[in-house]
Amino acid sequence: MIGRRNPVKDRVAFADAATTGFTAHNTDRSALSYATEACIDVLRSCGLTAADVDGICGSLPAAPQVQAALGIPEVTWFANPLVPFVNQLTAAVGAVYAGFCDVVLAYHTAYRMPWNTASAVKDPFRRSLSLGAGPAAGPGPETIAAAVGYTAWASRYFHEFGARREDLGLIAINDRSNAARNPAAAMREPMTMDDYLAARMIRWPLCLLDMDVPVDGADAFVITTAERARDLPHRPVLVHAATLGIVDHNEEDQQTSLRHHGQHVVVEALRARSDIWIDGCDVYFPYDGFSIIALNWFENAGFCGPGEAGAFLKDNWDAATNRVLIGGRVPVNPHGGALSEGGTQGSGHIREAVLQLQGRAGERQVPGAETAIVTAGGFFFNAQGVVLRAA
Amino acid sequence: MTEATDATEATDVTDVTDDELVRLFPGHPITHDNKAAYRGRLRRVLLVNRCGQCGRWHEPPKPVCPQCWSTDVVPTPVTGGGTIFLAIFLHQGPPAEGVDYATPYPVVTVELDEQEGLRFTSTVVGAANDDIRIGRRARLDWATRGGVPMPVFRLTGDPG
Repeated sequence: MIGRRNPVKDRVAFADAATTGFTAHNTDRSALSYATEACIDVLRSCGLTAADVDGICGSLPAAPQVQAALGIPEVTWFANPLVPFVNQLTAAVGAVYAGFCDVVLAYHTAYRMPWNTASAVKDPFRRSLSLGAGPAAGPGPETIAAAVGYTAWASRYFHEFGARREDLGLIAINDRSNAARNPAAAMREPMTMDDYLAARMIRWPLCLLDMDVPVDGADAFVITTAERARDLPHRPVLVHAATLGIVDHNEEDQQTSLRHHGQHVVVEALRARSDIWIDGCDVYFPYDGFSIIALNWFENAGFCGPGEAGAFLKDNWDAATNRVLIGGRVPVNPHGGALSEGGTQGSGHIREAVLQLQGRAGERQVPGAETAIVTAGGFFFNAQGVVLRAA
Repeated sequence: MTEATDATEATDVTDVTDDELVRLFPGHPITHDNKAAYRGRLRRVLLVNRCGQCGRWHEPPKPVCPQCWSTDVVPTPVTGGGTIFLAIFLHQGPPAEGVDYATPYPVVTVELDEQEGLRFTSTVVGAANDDIRIGRRARLDWATRGGVPMPVFRLTGDPG
């Protein structure tokens, strides 16, 4: 049962967003150092002090650690849901709307750890770190649990639709072309299809360039009531509709099919709760932690039919800028996405959406952008989405 | 992974204690919900939970039937026949006995004949990677890793 009720619609807003930018090698900084930098930037940008914050919601590090580091005197609500970042968003928006707090400092630190890059173990202080997501798999390689699951379902996608690696490559190239205009992005060198096809195979059919870039860096946000946000310096970005989506067969190898998983729940819920959908969307953010996820978001959001995403991307390819412009107008992951800005587990997509709707996205700015759709997460246990609009 | 005789073959494994079970499968996430399946491995029997009330199978093991909420779930041997549903080849991965990623290592999810959508994931042994494809028939077999049996698949039937 997917409800249509959406009392929070346009009642809670992003007052601002900030980022440290991202680096694709082990830096000599802690996750807490990145989180506090981004948090201080976003509070200063809003003209707020530590004493104005009464709610904290993040991923890594734990909220009490961030509170202590920033000297935030008192909070009445805090939470540390697992990423992707719409988990943080829905928790914070709900807490503000319910009145548990008024001003939430929300943050996510992307940090190179053994779960996302084997080279993280070169830093002894990272060896024991984990994100804590998902059930543990056995010790051997005979599993498709966790990240491997996307590779496995990519094999099914290829089998069912006759898709080719070039279809995935378009997602990677679009991200890289966009990242060239984002100073916060970790990977900004131009990429050709030949570059993509020559990249190191990691797990067939996915290569290195199909997988998000492990980075160090953080994003931070101020989330408050729409009324309060209107009194702050920047244009508020209203949370119009948001949802998480998950189905019963959510183990990677038990998922029923490519036609029934978390993404379908997200799309049905957003369409039921939102006045805005893809025809009225000025900038689109399909999650791209793996390229195959983004292809499936295009299809499941309704831009094209099952198996048609590769052709859709070709039909909407802007040769002049070597990237996707849907209908010649709507850019896709203009910050460079997880594949080129860095693997931010959705916080980068939401930060860029906020900046675009504020009109503060620099040379990436979509003229007159009023609405954004972020469809975050993958198939199994982390699909989610949010529709944002400028106040 | 070897075809050699393993350490458990000569022992009566039905009486293995919980402590011994955990010791035999280091690193595996053994719980009260899947301990019977791990004991089954020691006897080279793949056990999958089947509901004693409604007859539905489910995997991985759960303490209750997701279909009818009966707690009468019975670890039940499967025939071991099935069809490859997902197939990937690892060019890198965790270190494991008998696994050399110089030849990409196949990992397959096999849809078991017992029930549509009931699947089990492992590797394929005794086949060239080019022959391991979605849609191929496979059957359960047993290899050995770390001195204990490990369920694997072999290709069967017409390459098509």
